[in-house]
Amino acid sequence: MPYQQMDDKSDVDSQKPEKMFTLKKWNAVAMWSWDVECDTCAICRVQVMDACLRCQAESKTDNYGKQECVVVWGECNHSFHYCCMSLWVKQNNRCPLCQQEWSIQRMGK
Amino acid sequence: MSLKPRQVDFNAVWGSLQETVKSVITLGHVPRQIWSDRFSDVYSLCVAHPESMADRLYAETKQYLIDHVALLLIKVQEDGEDNLIKNYYHYWSQYSRGLFYLHLLYWYLNQQHIRMQKPSDAEMIYGSSDANAGEQLEIKELALEVWKNGMITPLGEKLVKLLLETIDKDRSEHTTLIPIEAIQGTITSFVEVQRFKIKGKLKLYQDLFEEPFLDASGEHFKRDAARLLEERDVSLYMEKVITKVDEELARARKFLHASSLTKVSQRCEQHMVAEHLDFLYSECMNMVQGERKRDLSNMYSLLKSLPNALNILVDTVLDHSKCQGLESIGTLQGDNIHVNFVENLLEVYQKYRQQIQEVFSGDQNFMGALDKACSSVINHRPNKGKTPCRSPELLAKYCDTLLKKSSKGISEAEVDEKLRKSITIFKYIDDKDVFQKFYARMLAKRLIHQQTQSMDAEEAMINRLKQACGYEFTSKLHRMFTDMSVSADLNNKFNAFLKDDSIDLGVNFCIYILQAGAWPFGQAIVTPFSLPQQLVKSVQMFETFYYNRFNGRKLTWLHHLCQAELRLGYLKKPYVVTVQTFQMAILLLFETADSLVCKEIRETLLLNADQFQRHAISLVDSKLLLCDSEELTPEAVLRLNMEYTNKRTRFRITAAIQRESPQEVEHTINSVEEDRKLYLQAAIVRIMKSRKVLKHNALIQEVCAQSKVSFAPSIPMIKKCIEALIDRHYMERTQHSSEEYSYIA
Repeated sequence: MPYQQMDDKSDVDSQKPEKMFTLKKWNAVAMWSWDVECDTCAICRVQVMDACLRCQAESKTDNYGKQECVVVWGECNHSFHYCCMSLWVKQNNRCPLCQQEWSIQRMGK
Repeated sequence: MSLKPRQVDFNAVWGSLQETVKSVITLGHVPRQIWSDRFSDVYSLCVAHPESMADRLYAETKQYLIDHVALLLIKVQEDGEDNLIKNYYHYWSQYSRGLFYLHLLYWYLNQQHIRMQKPSDAEMIYGSSDANAGEQLEIKELALEVWKNGMITPLGEKLVKLLLETIDKDRSEHTTLIPIEAIQGTITSFVEVQRFKIKGKLKLYQDLFEEPFLDASGEHFKRDAARLLEERDVSLYMEKVITKVDEELARARKFLHASSLTKVSQRCEQHMVAEHLDFLYSECMNMVQGERKRDLSNMYSLLKSLPNALNILVDTVLDHSKCQGLESIGTLQGDNIHVNFVENLLEVYQKYRQQIQEVFSGDQNFMGALDKACSSVINHRPNKGKTPCRSPELLAKYCDTLLKKSSKGISEAEVDEKLRKSITIFKYIDDKDVFQKFYARMLAKRLIHQQTQSMDAEEAMINRLKQACGYEFTSKLHRMFTDMSVSADLNNKFNAFLKDDSIDLGVNFCIYILQAGAWPFGQAIVTPFSLPQQLVKSVQMFETFYYNRFNGRKLTWLHHLCQAELRLGYLKKPYVVTVQTFQMAILLLFETADSLVCKEIRETLLLNADQFQRHAISLVDSKLLLCDSEELTPEAVLRLNMEYTNKRTRFRITAAIQRESPQEVEHTINSVEEDRKLYLQAAIVRIMKSRKVLKHNALIQEVCAQSKVSFAPSIPMIKKCIEALIDRHYMERTQHSSEEYSYIA
């Protein structure tokens, strides 16, 4: 039975029978990460949540929370750093993991 | 009078000119009319017809001056040695003034005749000096040259001997029989007679007077030092030597040419200090340990100008301040160990810093020694290096204590000041990355549990760290900070979204969304948990909202960090308790049951044993739940305490979530290693990218230099990272050498 009122306008003693526990407030904490099958980029071997090694080397990891080194998913559902993949496709337009023709399914945002 | 060249009778003209020359050189009276006539005479002789008589005039004048000086030489010596200097000075001042007027009288000769045939300045400087031998000099130079040859050459040595005797008397009796200006004037005359020379102006002065003077003074200093040493008292000796140096400098200023001052003090220091260094050093240790400021300051001023003489004093100060530092943190115990650690160290640092400013005028050598001492104290590993250094952890904890809400009775300005000072300690820490780990963990807890005293203070501190270590060092801390404000924004948007769709979650919901990787919580911490029904809608609605806004992201709920406020309606008074989500879930089960078996609870909520233990115990400890046995065995039965009372109507069950467990400390230290590898790899890629090809040793060196801001890497670790990068085709060994790498684009 969902509890209906958030502000307790009627005070405790008056209303009986009252619920034993009333959840007033919930401070939740959640962590976001890229929705990937493998959390390491197969090209640079760095976790996709961190910027790729080249980006780290150039210390442009992020600009106050705005990630520049985002993740890209191919039609094959494999995912890599966008930076790593754009270098990769210059040499070989196939997914490094499954050798399918590479085409972008979606980009992280 | 005509300016036209005409025939002139040299002898007649010279006869009258000579008379005037005599008056001029002896500063006698010369009427204006006579002066003008003689001035023209010089002119007419120079332009005489049919042939210029300038050379003859020059020769006659020179001879006259030679004769005049010869005469003066006799007069100077007339009254015997006692009056020699006085007389010399008397005639020198007359002569040296007179010769300038004479120079003016011979203006035409100087300008037209002599200057014309003078070699250019360049020739003077670079040509050989012999070429000048037969050359004519301007009258003032000629007159000085004549003085030098006719007066100083025969009389010089005698004069110098008398001068030295006089100065010696001044040293012992502080009086001179001869007027000071006579002594000073005589000495300066050795410089003056050469003033028109382009090269070696001071040569005569130096050879004739300065050198014998310095030698004689040296002997005097040696005797003086030997006499003072007999007292065998370093403090007294130093005082006396300092006075002596000052006296000698004052004397040199009184009598000598300015160029001699440093030479005098050098001589004095050489004989009185440099030759007795061992004697001075013998008291060094006692002075430093006894902090005898006056002695130390004297010692410093005596030693500073001698090359390398300070080293022993510097080393003694280093050892002493290091001992004091180690002593101040050696015996720390108790809960406040982090506060004592930082504040004791700062006290020692401030004390010696101030002492160096005061006693050693902030000399860089001593500042360097203090730096070294601090660095070795702060990075000291007890037990001969076996125990890891705790400084990074203690300092981070110190900052945490200051930045947390609980710090009572201390103003914001004081907190800021203390944090500012803590940077001093921070700068000396070698393993700055370890500090950063601890700091990040504590910051995360402060932010998530809303224990931050002031966001301004937090940000100021992060900026200080950034200043000390650079952007990279604090980028994760910044990201955590940014997540806080991004979350505030998301909460607003989510509330608007709920309002638009008239959705009621049944609870006041608020969320922090953290970026994975930036926060010091690994994925591993996420444990299974069956969410209570009351929260399911909130989670679902928020996920719908979030996934609509962002592409390719997934959310992981960190329940162990969530907190809930529960109102307890079953007790005499209404209480509001703040609990962690797992605790809340356990409590909520008692809505429908009076008592529950531990095993049952665990299975319902899917909690793992560890989590269940921690949170159930905290509820039992707080007396909200009662347990029928001592231990929380799977069969133990938990009951709600219906008689619970608390003085406060709002309270918090905190224990389980906020205590830093020993495992966490260990975990923190271990994760440092992983981060160091990544850091080193990034550094290697960065270096190789800019250098393309690099020798092994050069690469190692550069990596060490770059990582110094954050930690001191071990060579084997760098080698491992290089191997890893070669495996991943970031770089390769060049073909001709295995000791050389090249970058692969």
